[in-house]
Amino acid sequence: MELKICHLYPDVLNLYGDRGNVLCMCQRLRWRGIDVAVTGVSVGEPLHAADHDLFFIGGGQDFEQEVLLEDLAGGKAAEIRAAVEDGLPFLAICGGYQMLGSYYKTWDGVQCDFIGALDLYTVGCRERMIGNVLFSCDDLDGGTVVGFENHSGKTYLGPSVRPLGRMISGHGNNGEDGGEGARYRNVFASYSHGCLLPKNPALCDRILTEALARKYGEARLEPLDDALELAAHDYMERRLTANK
Amino acid sequence: MKVSVCLSILTCKLARFAIRLLGRGGTDFPGRLALKLCPDVLGKLAEGVTVILVTGTNGKTTTSRMIEQALTDSGISFFANRSGANLLSGVTAEFAMHATVTGRCRYPYALIEADEAALKAISKYVHARVLVITNVFRDQLDRYGEVTHTLENLRIGISHCPDAVLCLNADDSLARSLADDVPNRVIYYGVSTPIYDHRVAELSDAPYCIRCKHEYVYDYVTYGHLGGYRCPNCGYCRPDPEVAVTKVYSSDTEGSRVRLEAGGQAYDTTVNLPGGYNIYNACAAMACGRALGLDPATVAGSLSSFACGFGRMEKFEIDGASLRMILIKNPAGCNQVLNFLTNTREPSVFVVCLNDRAQDGRDISWIWDVDFEQVAAMGDRLSRLIVSGVRADDMAVRFKYAGVPADKLQVVRDYGELIRACVAQDRPVYIMPTYTAMLELREKLSKTYGFKDFWE
Repeated sequence: MELKICHLYPDVLNLYGDRGNVLCMCQRLRWRGIDVAVTGVSVGEPLHAADHDLFFIGGGQDFEQEVLLEDLAGGKAAEIRAAVEDGLPFLAICGGYQMLGSYYKTWDGVQCDFIGALDLYTVGCRERMIGNVLFSCDDLDGGTVVGFENHSGKTYLGPSVRPLGRMISGHGNNGEDGGEGARYRNVFASYSHGCLLPKNPALCDRILTEALARKYGEARLEPLDDALELAAHDYMERRLTANK
Repeated sequence: MKVSVCLSILTCKLARFAIRLLGRGGTDFPGRLALKLCPDVLGKLAEGVTVILVTGTNGKTTTSRMIEQALTDSGISFFANRSGANLLSGVTAEFAMHATVTGRCRYPYALIEADEAALKAISKYVHARVLVITNVFRDQLDRYGEVTHTLENLRIGISHCPDAVLCLNADDSLARSLADDVPNRVIYYGVSTPIYDHRVAELSDAPYCIRCKHEYVYDYVTYGHLGGYRCPNCGYCRPDPEVAVTKVYSSDTEGSRVRLEAGGQAYDTTVNLPGGYNIYNACAAMACGRALGLDPATVAGSLSSFACGFGRMEKFEIDGASLRMILIKNPAGCNQVLNFLTNTREPSVFVVCLNDRAQDGRDISWIWDVDFEQVAAMGDRLSRLIVSGVRADDMAVRFKYAGVPADKLQVVRDYGELIRACVAQDRPVYIMPTYTAMLELREKLSKTYGFKDFWE
């Protein structure tokens, strides 16, 4: 078995250690004897979604956003929209998550159109939402996820999209409705860096299972020894719930 | 006005004295007290003092120590904020400690390391003759925000001192842009040759042109986004440096042999700290010397005799064990440490202490941007890897995914136990702590083995 991971804009969308999510997916596949290949697709390079089994998009700085929007408009946005509708699995973090939505409106009212693959939008606000987070996740049967958020955008989900999790500690999508991240078809999106997957191995395996099942019909991942990962997860969970 | 200045200075001195009686090294609180009583007390304290400011993301402290040695060797009387208190409050306290109660400074010169976000607050009150900017990298994003935000803060800081000579890193496309549209005299310094044959894999913090957002082309890279960049679209490029390292003869875990050129003269010297980033720091110190009109041969000599700042490759010899402490705080800096540490020939023990307090950065995600895979690739040259600190578990996970074998990896939470474990090694031990972990470890070391406290 083999998974082909596409890392979108690895040289631009790479804030806050988001590449660790790709490292994590690769290692957890290799440790189970499953081959993995990662292809970076950046500005000016064509994207053929059908060549890949799983997509990752990280967060970026505002400075490069213009460059990205121009590149997305040149064909990638349409390709990504089709891939999402096709049920290809995506993991999108922070800026990458916002970009899958319809648009971003700055706090002073300037609107910027995004990919439009998911029915959600983001409004900039002047206060940043920064800190460690803890949320529960339906996809993990209520299991918890820990991470670190750092964003000034408030994201609001449309009716066809549900949140990835329910906040236990932290702001999440907008600090108002208790939701964190987004789920739509096989898209997993979150504001959590940390980075997200290494400390939440169940979530990583959930996404990998989705990708393998889509490619090979059925997939069951062998359990791994996650003692270190869970120690890191549990430490932060204890710290965040002790403060409550 | 006069009364409030004296009262402010006196309070600051008393508070500092009281804190030291308690055996602590606080420099921030006395400064904050002073500012509360007289918000512009720094302006009064710095009157008539020629100030050298050093700022930037990485290398502030080391560059300051190099300049300090150069000033001493040049016979200049000065004081410096050695303890690393580099915010407005800490700098104010340092000035107060070196002034009479009426606010007259006892030294004609002050060498001040300034936090890059605090520069604008400090430069407003002091008369800077020279402003050295080491570099601009992504740092703790929860504290400083994006690099463009850091640049904006620096720009405001520079606008307060139009008479200062700016010493800018020519190889850093971000820092170099600070020369745009300012009246200041600028001295560019840079490294005109690659430093490493084999570099760690790292991300560039500035792949796109700061002026036109077109992708840069590089003739060579020294590390990170530093090197010979040029924009094929708008022509923005590395300027010819006035002070340059033109040759790196050798570089090991003790230091580097380099050729420095300034004013048409060449100076061969040794930088007595290892790593490419210290070659840059040396070059920045040389540029500062030129801005001050110091004898370049003297400054070049100072680079091989300066005492490094605490936790900057600081050596501890304890019961026959050799411990080295090297501060890590962001991906760029940490990657540079790995650039030379992972090239050691002798099998070594590595220790990483990761804290997530405010001064460390609360977000530890950056450890995933560091090429720790190089540590795993050391094979037999890595005899043991110990992780510690508040976020020891996260560090252990990082090394697991980097491919370090489980039997080499050890989590030690207690600092006392950690130090005992380090001292018990018969191999060189390299300890890489984040800022507060370094302070805690040093305190533990000095209490147990009687080393100097950091504020002395």
